[in-house]
Amino acid sequence: MHISDGVLPMPVIVAGWVITIILLAGTLRWAAKKGDIAREIPKLSVMAGAFFVASLIHIDIPPSSAHLILNGLVGVVLGPLSYLALFIGLTLQALLFQHGGITVIGINTVNVGIPALICYLAFLAGSKRGIPLPAIGGVCGGLGVLLTVVLLVLVLVVSGDQFFAVAGLLAGAHLPIAVAEAIVTGAVVGYLVRVKPELLPIPLKGEKK
Amino acid sequence: MRYPDIDKYAWLDSPIHRLEPRIKILSFTVLIFSAVFVGNIPAALLALAVALLILILSRLPVRFVLQRSTPILVFVLPILLLMPLTVPGTPIWSAGPVAFTEEGLSYAVLITIRAVAAIVLVLTLLGTQRIEATLRALSLLRVPGVIVQMLFFTYRYIYVMMDEFLSIWSAMRAKGYTLRPNRYGLSIIGNLVGMLLVKSYERAERVYCGMEARGYRGKPITVAPFSITAADCFAGLLLIGIAGGLQVYPLVAL
Repeated sequence: MHISDGVLPMPVIVAGWVITIILLAGTLRWAAKKGDIAREIPKLSVMAGAFFVASLIHIDIPPSSAHLILNGLVGVVLGPLSYLALFIGLTLQALLFQHGGITVIGINTVNVGIPALICYLAFLAGSKRGIPLPAIGGVCGGLGVLLTVVLLVLVLVVSGDQFFAVAGLLAGAHLPIAVAEAIVTGAVVGYLVRVKPELLPIPLKGEKK
Repeated sequence: MRYPDIDKYAWLDSPIHRLEPRIKILSFTVLIFSAVFVGNIPAALLALAVALLILILSRLPVRFVLQRSTPILVFVLPILLLMPLTVPGTPIWSAGPVAFTEEGLSYAVLITIRAVAAIVLVLTLLGTQRIEATLRALSLLRVPGVIVQMLFFTYRYIYVMMDEFLSIWSAMRAKGYTLRPNRYGLSIIGNLVGMLLVKSYERAERVYCGMEARGYRGKPITVAPFSITAADCFAGLLLIGIAGGLQVYPLVAL
């Protein structure tokens, strides 16, 4: 769920931009340390395009009807650079489809990007313990949406007591989506394990960790 | 699923279309930020009036703007419906436990006007120039190269991935699949997304190799295709002046 322009007060919007810029700079520095960032740009962009298209899939779950967010899956597949990919995705959604406003790209990226980073860490922790990968994937998919909802409610409540009821309504409307995303993400991870395990952050067979 | 043809009216001709992209982006951004931060209803109405005036100047079809503004309803409708009922304050109208308060209503109306003014300005900004021009202007405005390049590539590959998706989707439909919100239907969607990711990953490898072979080293070659005239500067300063005026107006009027 992406917030529109004109809803939030100034301090929240500024805080959103500050956090987003810090996290972007941090993850980019991390990526530059790991390897050539120029190598990553085209790959990351094509993947971001795929995630963008996948998030346009429309699912009707009575009573609400929604698009997938897929931030848990983005986190699992792209790792720390998922924050950058989600920032790009949200910017393009604001520019091309007006899903979410321009002035609130910062705070919207915080809302979906931080859960993505947490899901990445959760996936790493889970796979080390030897839990079946599709199960962790499912948990990450659901967790991504739930954390996003928690952050969204937090942002609205911090913005003013007036938003209390609106936040409650939005949270309720998102619960079915969390379940749907858990199932979808679990299936995606299961598919990737069988077809292209190098997309997942797991040690491959015959490879030393 | 439809193509994001936000710039399909970029070929029209109007004073807004002719404005230099860098000046346009800068002045509109200032104006949009000013419009979303106005503090009371009269100032918000003024912002909306300015936005509508600019929209009329730009000659964009009204239908385009109406169709494109629907996403804001997701936020604006609940706010308009719930806030007057839930925010405590002086009741204008009440029936039993349900009260319609003045404070809630005025806050909801303020948010709605700000949201509408902002989306009208955003659509006028984006609708009057090619998206390529917008991105190129961003790069000339010193937005970090990584961000601009990723916006460019991702924008380009959204079309490719959309075609990939639609071809898989029509194959699935031809075999009798209909999307139902149950476990089976959703795990098939999961396989579809997985397949899209695998295809995109393999394509990304090829794209990267192709680009590297042509001399790509992570730095875009930018040529400045735009030139700023005195009229552009004047229009830009005028818009920024209006943006400042919107912020000053409530202070003066009080």
